Amino acid sequence: MNSKLTRKAGLYALILQFAIATFPPMALAGLIQTPEAIAAQQQELSRQQLSEAVVREDVQQQLVELGVDPAMALERIAVLTDAEIAQLNHRIDNLPAGAGVLEVIGVVFVVLLILELVGVTNIFSKF
Amino acid sequence: MRAIGVVMALVLGGCTGTGPVLSPHLPADSPGTAVELRDTPFFAQTDYQCGPAALAMLLQAAGSRVTPTDLVPAVYLPGRQGSLQLELIAATRRHGRLPYVIEPLISVLLEELRAGRPVLVLLNLGLRSHPVWHYAVAVGYLPDTDEIILRSGTTRRKLMAAARFMKTWEHAGAWGLLVLRPGELPARVDPGAYIRAAADLESVGQFRAAHQTYVTATARWPDNATAWLGLGNTRYQMGNPGEAEQAFRQALRADPGYLAAYNNLAMLLAERGCYPAALDALDHALEVSQPGAALRGTLAETRQEVLQRQRNPGNQVDPACNNSGEQP
Repeated sequence: MNSKLTRKAGLYALILQFAIATFPPMALAGLIQTPEAIAAQQQELSRQQLSEAVVREDVQQQLVELGVDPAMALERIAVLTDAEIAQLNHRIDNLPAGAGVLEVIGVVFVVLLILELVGVTNIFSKF
Repeated sequence: MRAIGVVMALVLGGCTGTGPVLSPHLPADSPGTAVELRDTPFFAQTDYQCGPAALAMLLQAAGSRVTPTDLVPAVYLPGRQGSLQLELIAATRRHGRLPYVIEPLISVLLEELRAGRPVLVLLNLGLRSHPVWHYAVAVGYLPDTDEIILRSGTTRRKLMAAARFMKTWEHAGAWGLLVLRPGELPARVDPGAYIRAAADLESVGQFRAAHQTYVTATARWPDNATAWLGLGNTRYQMGNPGEAEQAFRQALRADPGYLAAYNNLAMLLAERGCYPAALDALDHALEVSQPGAALRGTLAETRQEVLQRQRNPGNQVDPACNNSGEQP
């Protein structure tokens, strides 16, 4: 086995360890997994290139920096695919993060406040 | 008060459309029929956690028992006060369901609602330049009043004008997520996207759910070699190497130049001691493949591994080799 395969085996071991599989997975016999076959057909980056364990660690670290518990961050990256990890890497701060409608009320309030301060409205002065 | 109205219109994006939004996208035979998936569960969001709440509604609608509280540690990002789309998708996999992102069209969303499936949507309630991202669950529509019915925030049944829904939805990329039970097909399905979603389930170790999805996919698209490959891979993972071998042969019938299927077939043949048949398959694959094909290197490695095993005198040869070890 060359080092690429060893690294791949290590990655699978990591994924399988943390993914909640519904039954114990068997040892892999060097089968080409379906995502890898799809990537090869689409002439995408090979699985090995995408799945550098380093990138996973980076994304895990970025999750931790955004307040996720380190152990939970490891579980979270385990259910992300290689392509998703690549998409997330260094973009976690910019991708849409759906939050609540509460924030909208905050925005409305700020806009109202500004309008009030510059004298366009006088909503608050009536109270 | 007029100022409030003006500001609300500015911030929330007023309805500017003139004609009805929904009716052009509804079936001609029953354009006025309202749809409402009343059984879709509802969880009021707490704080900024509409992601966990919305996803829990869909997972429960797909037979899971997961609650928003269970999902918070898996999808909520404290530093962003929200949840990322990709993490909602990933958490769906963790619970053994198939995440399927619909085609970004209102007609497709309405079709899924008619088929009884709630759709998790991302909305931009703010401006394009100052987005306010929000997840809600579309559970129905009312053609007469041109409204979409949502489970949103702390409101169990929120009616939103279809024009405003379209605007806020399209400003968020018209992203809609279905949570499917393994083996369930969406109303409007793209084979590539569906099989890819199954492969993603496979890649995170959800073999049983992936397997059921491939069973559906091979039945629906029997000529799709990737679906057969996936079926073979997951059958193998579930301890059925014999059936896996049959699936790899089916994959090769669908696509006689499919290198991944040759590789996996050869591995299984070698595993039961059928070395000549395994080497035949690999040699044939290497012969028919393009010189620059991505998997050629892997096949060459597999060939070395088979040769090594063949030289090991301790390995048993399956007496049934000659019967089923022939080329597909």
